[in-house]
Amino acid sequence: MHHAHIDRFAYQDSPIHRLDSRVKFIVVLVFTAVVISLPRTSLSILACYAVGPFAILVLGGIPLRFTFKQILLVSPFVLVLALSCPLYDRTPVEVAFGPWVLRLTVGWMRGFTILAKFVVTMLALIALVSTTRFNDLLTGLQRLGLPKILVIQLGFLYRYIFVLIDRAHHILQARAGRKLRSLGFKTELRIAAAMVGSLFIRSIDTAEHINIAMQARGFDGKWNTLSKLRIHAADFVFILSAAFFVLGLYLCVRPALQ
Amino acid sequence: MSTMPKAVEIENFSYKYPDGTAALDGVNLGIEHGEKVVLIGPNGAGKSTLLLAMAGFVKGPGKVVIDGLEITRGNLKKIRACLCSCLENPDDQLFMPTLFDDVAFGPLNMGLTSEEIKMRVADALRTVGLAEMADKAPHHLSAGQKRAAAIATVLSMAPKIITMDEPDGSLDPRNRRRLLKLLGSLPQTLIIATCNMNFAAALADRAVLVDGGRIIADGDAKEIMADAKLMAQHGLEVYSV
Repeated sequence: MHHAHIDRFAYQDSPIHRLDSRVKFIVVLVFTAVVISLPRTSLSILACYAVGPFAILVLGGIPLRFTFKQILLVSPFVLVLALSCPLYDRTPVEVAFGPWVLRLTVGWMRGFTILAKFVVTMLALIALVSTTRFNDLLTGLQRLGLPKILVIQLGFLYRYIFVLIDRAHHILQARAGRKLRSLGFKTELRIAAAMVGSLFIRSIDTAEHINIAMQARGFDGKWNTLSKLRIHAADFVFILSAAFFVLGLYLCVRPALQ
Repeated sequence: MSTMPKAVEIENFSYKYPDGTAALDGVNLGIEHGEKVVLIGPNGAGKSTLLLAMAGFVKGPGKVVIDGLEITRGNLKKIRACLCSCLENPDDQLFMPTLFDDVAFGPLNMGLTSEEIKMRVADALRTVGLAEMADKAPHHLSAGQKRAAAIATVLSMAPKIITMDEPDGSLDPRNRRRLLKLLGSLPQTLIIATCNMNFAAALADRAVLVDGGRIIADGDAKEIMADAKLMAQHGLEVYSV
């Protein structure tokens, strides 16, 4: 089965794709921290910050339609949070856009800011995973000091989540093929429990087989990898440009915009 | 005068599942180096368990000797460098995020240098026709490519003996022909469990018929698989190639 992988554009080639995964990860981490730390009245500066990840996505050849689809997929959770803000704080506030003045409440301002921060940080995150192969990202995280056991678990998660989705899909198809009428809530619940149980047992089975496959190839509990990461001149240029952009906006433009 | 040890020598080996069901019952089997042997038999006959016993994954009364080394806890590492197993489901065999890492997994555990590992990975991937796919994630491969990749994971360890469980499963005829060509070209001792008689007949000179955990027949592959009465008795069919 073919899945809509979040990293399906990570196998392209572009100057952004060729950057070291550690560099990209650190830049995205710092960028996200700065964006999150911006005050709730910083909608205009958030728009300026969006230019950074947007440029990376364009340079990396990542289709914007794909990007916004990914953002929409995870947006319901944040939408609930953002839309609940106006209910809590109804203090009136005036927002000026040049000659235009908009009357809002602080709650709405907070809601818009949460949404804007979400979109900007998601743009950065999608730019990272769409221009970095997951394996390079894992190797980078390991080199940055993430515990090996966590890196291994993440690797297995990435490898087997699609196998699990396939299995769940097949079980659902098998159910749909034989379910010819509504069976009532209780029976449906019992069937769903049996399906989850079957998936769980098959996962344990798979884990046992993987254990055999690993031991058959000499695995003795020590995880060895061949790291292929290297910092190049382009990585330094990227770090300097990113630092100039993030800090420049933070230190210079922010006071002017407020 | 020293004689070369057999690739596999099993003496009176038995194994019971934890629920008490006998999976293997007094198995005796000897396989010479360079032989291409198929283990045929119906589902649940004990073929997969026999392959697991050869790699030291199931233990029971009796003796299993691989290339002169008896399977003991102390010998397992040496034995698994000599005999490599390829599991039935390639998704179980390919557990690393990229094909390169998967094929390099075995050589890394053997303690080889990074240059040697890279060379072995490149050779193994070239042999199975996946040289251009080293950086691909296994879930991006087709069923035929996954099967070939699973074989590359054991080829990179340069074992003397390779065991495979139902390698032809879920392959279309074109991929099955490719697999046959690949397996036929390998110089290693091959021990393959399969229910597909045509596949078995096209690959091996020797067949071992297993049923009920016992060896029922052992001999010329085509002769055994042409015996309609024997095949029908054990829920199999004669080959038609």
